[in-house]
Amino acid sequence: MQLAVNIAVLAAIYALISCGYVLIYRVSRVLSLAHGELMMLGAYGLYATASLFSGHPLAAIGASALLALLSGILVYSALMWRMTGESVLAAVLATIALGILLRGGMILAFGTQTQYPLQELGWANASIALGDSARISAAGLALVGATIACYGGLFAFLRGTRWGLRMLAAGQSPLLAAQRGIDLHRTYALVWALATFTGGLAGMLIACDGGLEYTLVTIGLKAFPAALVGGLDSLAGALIGSLIVSVAEVLLIHYVDPLLSEVVPFFVLLAMLIVRPWGLLGTREELDRV
Amino acid sequence: MKKSLCAVLLAALPAAAAWAEDRYVIGVSAAMTGPAAGTYAPTVEAMKAYLEHVNAKGGIHGRQVQVIVQDDGAEPSKAAANAKKLLAQDKVLILVNASLSSTYAPIVAEVKRAGVPLYYGGSVCPKDTFPPADPLQFCSTAFGATLDSQAALGFVQSQAKEPVRIGFAAMAIPIARAEIDYAEGLAKTLGMTPVEKQITPPPTPDYTPFATKLKDASPNWVFSWSPWVSQVRTFEAMRRLGWKGRYITWAHLNAEDELARVRDGEFYVLGTNAFFEDNLPVQAEIRTVTHRANLKYPVTYLTEGFIAGLVIEQVLKNTPWPPTPQKVLAAMNSLKVDLKGLRGGPLEWTRDNHFRTRQYYRVWRFDPAKNQVTRVQDWKAIDVKR
Repeated sequence: MQLAVNIAVLAAIYALISCGYVLIYRVSRVLSLAHGELMMLGAYGLYATASLFSGHPLAAIGASALLALLSGILVYSALMWRMTGESVLAAVLATIALGILLRGGMILAFGTQTQYPLQELGWANASIALGDSARISAAGLALVGATIACYGGLFAFLRGTRWGLRMLAAGQSPLLAAQRGIDLHRTYALVWALATFTGGLAGMLIACDGGLEYTLVTIGLKAFPAALVGGLDSLAGALIGSLIVSVAEVLLIHYVDPLLSEVVPFFVLLAMLIVRPWGLLGTREELDRV
Repeated sequence: MKKSLCAVLLAALPAAAAWAEDRYVIGVSAAMTGPAAGTYAPTVEAMKAYLEHVNAKGGIHGRQVQVIVQDDGAEPSKAAANAKKLLAQDKVLILVNASLSSTYAPIVAEVKRAGVPLYYGGSVCPKDTFPPADPLQFCSTAFGATLDSQAALGFVQSQAKEPVRIGFAAMAIPIARAEIDYAEGLAKTLGMTPVEKQITPPPTPDYTPFATKLKDASPNWVFSWSPWVSQVRTFEAMRRLGWKGRYITWAHLNAEDELARVRDGEFYVLGTNAFFEDNLPVQAEIRTVTHRANLKYPVTYLTEGFIAGLVIEQVLKNTPWPPTPQKVLAAMNSLKVDLKGLRGGPLEWTRDNHFRTRQYYRVWRFDPAKNQVTRVQDWKAIDVKR
């Protein structure tokens, strides 16, 4: 039972992070390599608002969520819109540069010490019993809940709202979408906002679980294989990919060797690239264009 | 016009040379940014602040100490470039390293070419500083491989009232793995039963899967020797899984603050630097200097850097003017530094021992009844021999 809980929490972490990679790639065909940094920015946002709204944790959480959304819009309007029409490589390089800039900026602003946003919020990361044989941390439970809510909300948004359909249309054919009157810049800005929000949310919850420090950036990259395994343009694929990678990781830690957890996501990815390079639920045509 | 410009430049040259010659120049290559910066940057900032404090009091032998810090981001290639620049261009008397062990090899190669002493002030002491020491490498950093495990397991043995079933946790970096392997072997010789060893890769999004396996082995003690993040998160994950045993780990720079945050009576830290609960006069001085230098780190993080500053001050005091790397080296080969209570005794280097002749350990925990960090074991010495 504890192993199942561990798998659920790890899968939730990977799924919440990889959903940002997928959203941006699916709609704008840009592979954002600054996602780990944007995730960390979200976590620092929570830390800053928790200090600012001391004693009002809900206001701090709301403000940090808003900040994450706004940062996504800012990233698009200040940098990524200039990449529209440029080669894929140029856009990817722009995200790498953005990541370096964000990392430096966060060190300057917040220093190198480990911070504890949950403590700033005045909450404790309680241990919750799930029956007799398993326990989960409050932050872990929040991660699972947030992932379910985010994916549920995104599926409903993409299929059931006008803006969601515009996003899908822009992802399928930007030219035709523009000819039909869809404002591509607004659509892309929205997708960057949503991706930064989900990534930021993952960063906030991971930081609440164990503290906020510089290595969060690398954790952002660890979720990338999960997105590729599921298919880089499929949200459902990201969910399944995260689950596959997490099952393999947790079972290998428990039954074989903990050190394998570092390589297993990439091993699963390698196996997938050999068998089905476009991922489990990815689109073959789309991959050919990368 | 050209002639007058040349004249000005020529006039300025001897002045610049004199400026360089009338002060002690110390070079530092440190991980001021990057994933390891949290461990090294506070040490370097504190060392620099202390030496500025020395300058404000009139310097050493009436001369100022200039500290040139180069960031290597814990990258070996940058460390090599820093060493080249500091040795060839800045002509430093001592090169200080405060970075990951992966930066050591390129820096050692450069100092050997230049014949300048290399001082590890804040970074882990390599084997080359232990007896028989490499002629050019010196170290004052608190932790010491193998000695820390001896002290930690000695403490476990002194506390245990029942047979010890011990688990081990470490981060998957060479130095931590080697130490934990050593501790596992040592535990067996001390009559303890090693039950599980978990090596976590850096970074890990969730420590619970590793903690689950460790907890399932039912240890009554766990020893961890790694970067702080790995030590404390493994412990916290184990506690959240309902583990009730005792955990001993290394007291990094942030240990005093972290004990107060974790607030667990069975979470012990072992270290060689005094905590601020001691309220020593030198700690009041650290507070003053920190405040004056406007350092952004909590004062409790700065002891290691102050010790590095005290060591450099003493080395330069023992070096006759005008200083050369050879004279500095001679001073370092026979050094005794009064650490004013920041450690259990003075730091001594000899020609053969560039680590220290005696290492002193204390153990602390958070006492929930007193609601404060308390000392569980006072200074206990281990002689450092060949």
